[in-house]
Amino acid sequence: MFLNVTLALLSGFLNTLKLFALTLLFSIPLGLLISFGSMKRLRILKYPVRFFIWVIRGTPLMLQLLVIYYGPGIILRKNIWGSGDTGRFIAALVAFVINYACYFSEIFRGGIQSIPVGQYEAGQVLGMTKSQIFFRVILLQVIKRIIPPMSNEIITLTKDTSLARVIAVYEVIWEGQSFIKSAGIIWPLFYTGVFYLVFSGLLTLLFGLAEKKLGYFETK
Amino acid sequence: MSILEVSNIKKNFGNTEVLKDIGFSMEKGDVLSILGSSGSGKTTLLRCLNFLETPDEGIIRVNGETLFDSSDASSLSESEIRKKRLHFGLVFQSFNLFPQYTALENITLAPSLLAKEDPSIDMSSLEDHARALLDQMGLSAKAGNYPHELSGGQQQRVAIARALALKPDILCFDEPTSALDPELTGEVLKVIRELAEKNTTMIIVTHEMGFARDVSDRAIFMDGGVIVEEGPSTQVIDDPKMERTKQFLSYYK
Repeated sequence: MFLNVTLALLSGFLNTLKLFALTLLFSIPLGLLISFGSMKRLRILKYPVRFFIWVIRGTPLMLQLLVIYYGPGIILRKNIWGSGDTGRFIAALVAFVINYACYFSEIFRGGIQSIPVGQYEAGQVLGMTKSQIFFRVILLQVIKRIIPPMSNEIITLTKDTSLARVIAVYEVIWEGQSFIKSAGIIWPLFYTGVFYLVFSGLLTLLFGLAEKKLGYFETK
Repeated sequence: MSILEVSNIKKNFGNTEVLKDIGFSMEKGDVLSILGSSGSGKTTLLRCLNFLETPDEGIIRVNGETLFDSSDASSLSESEIRKKRLHFGLVFQSFNLFPQYTALENITLAPSLLAKEDPSIDMSSLEDHARALLDQMGLSAKAGNYPHELSGGQQQRVAIARALALKPDILCFDEPTSALDPELTGEVLKVIRELAEKNTTMIIVTHEMGFARDVSDRAIFMDGGVIVEEGPSTQVIDDPKMERTKQFLSYYK
């Protein structure tokens, strides 16, 4: 029985991890773009971007999942997400990417704006281009500064992926819960918690390592 | 021909006139000190020369080449400005070293990026040049250290080497010792003094009056965005003619 449960939960957790990894992959670059938009002097860009961030951060992720999955079908009378498990997974992924990109963008903005203007000016008077200054001077300092808030957000994402079940995306807690009905046992549900704990433990170690790796320099 | 000619520079921030009609010139090998109280426009003038600010009006010429002319409305592209600002080097009050690079890498970063665009620059000689500059600054033992491992005086000397690595025509200093204690100030001033002896063309914004008098050929006293007095540094500092200059300098006696 234990082996059966373990295998079942593992397959559920694999889907959890897939959602987790793909969300990170797309939301980090998108978050960077949004943070650039929110920092532009150009009002026509800055204010709509900030409004968008407000809406996304100000409403529940669960609501966003429902709206993104059902919305297009009701408004356009067409299922744009494709059918079956894949369609639901893609809809969930889109919701997670948008939601997390907005949170990340604010972390990036804070990190970028915390770098002293003197770093940019030093690069400028040395004849560096804007992109050389950003990629060679600023970025690593930003990364070092945002590791703690990013680790928070990423660990939260691990657990938030379980919300995808509201649009029937298969994941580990769903799998664990199914044993209540099918076998009348509750312990698999607790067992799912162990998967999350182990995974977030690994992430914590990883972030600790990254922090140590960037400990060789100090930002002002 | 003067190495630098500045005329009719005006700069406003909003409704505040920071620079009102600034003009001066200097010769190759000259050291020029700019004196004046905080808010007199000294730093803004240096920032205009280094294209960190754009003057509202005026002309800047280096070696007869017009770098900036407000009447020439053609907006300067980023790459043009980059090329032009390399005539000047700037050493900041707060050093602004790049924390993730060693002392040596701080010096070689910009030259090696430029070398990528310009194949005539020999990549391999950049590091030798950087090491020679560190040696000149008395820091050959610190090449592999990161900025946070260096004292303020050492950081500022690395910053001077970093500016020199691009071989600017004119090296500018914006209150280079204002963030340092007297002991560290001494080691930075010593390095600047040595550069003056080698006929490096320099503009120094400073509150170190004794140093300014000894090291510079000429001095400018600014107040309220205008040049109040200009002349040989010994004369401006020891025997000022204008009432405002006398008043300001009286605090240093």
